[in-house]
Amino acid sequence: MHAPWLWFSLLVLLSWGTLGVVQKLTTNIISAESALIWSVIGFICLQPLLYGGPAPFHYTSGALGWALLNGVFNGLGAWTLMAAMSAGGKASLVLPITAMYPLLVVLVAPALFHESISRLQAVGVACALISVVLISSDSAHGHS
Amino acid sequence: MYRLANIGQRVTTLKQKWFWYSITSAFCWAGFAISARYGSTELPANMMQFVAAFGFVAFGIVLLATRGFRLELNKRGAVYGTIAGVLLAAGGLALYAAYRGGSNTAVVTTATSLYPMFTVLLAVIFLHERITFRQSIGMLFAVAAIVILSL
Repeated sequence: MHAPWLWFSLLVLLSWGTLGVVQKLTTNIISAESALIWSVIGFICLQPLLYGGPAPFHYTSGALGWALLNGVFNGLGAWTLMAAMSAGGKASLVLPITAMYPLLVVLVAPALFHESISRLQAVGVACALISVVLISSDSAHGHS
Repeated sequence: MYRLANIGQRVTTLKQKWFWYSITSAFCWAGFAISARYGSTELPANMMQFVAAFGFVAFGIVLLATRGFRLELNKRGAVYGTIAGVLLAAGGLALYAAYRGGSNTAVVTTATSLYPMFTVLLAVIFLHERITFRQSIGMLFAVAAIVILSL
């Protein structure tokens, strides 16, 4: 449990895990679209704290492009999830489908990043995927 | 006969809008993870979050425009929504740091996708929701995954 990535991953679990509850409270009061727009406002609240070190244009345009695209994917992922729900999709079907995104990453990562995983890690990944599908199939929470 | 009905139901599902929105969403989250990994190799986590926010804001403006720039101004809803945005950003920041830590993309992505486990736990504690048998099994798999990936 000493690898830094693991501690950061636990922080992700805590932040996004809490986010699921807060989103549920939000959408009990306002529409999902309004909730997403208020989230954008919350998202930019952290901006002044984040800006430090070299100016953004110190970095390559490629890296900045990936970061911008990342923000757009975040919004698109959230919107299509909401659209699936409002198009009549049951949460018990929509969420397990969207929760399969790590599988796509696991499949393309070796080709894109020239990485491989050990057998033990493969077992861990399989357990995680099964877990996410089982938990999501009865839950109405998403990360965006 | 049952088999034919089953095939028919599957074909109907493939014609449903919600199904394709769900598939698109899964691809978007995969794109989110891959772009996070690519960006994080050069940008530190804070700069990654700083720049990604502009993409997220651009999407928010488009969404707001499609609603005719109408936004629900319920006070509690706005506060909860804003807190959700802060949590989303905080999680993103930690995710970029995890990717930048140099670990395997597939391992970090699957480990961080376990967040519904915490949502369910918190929902049980604070919203007094009940946990289903299937979710309990899912929680066991999540704990097993975290332990195995931490070895």
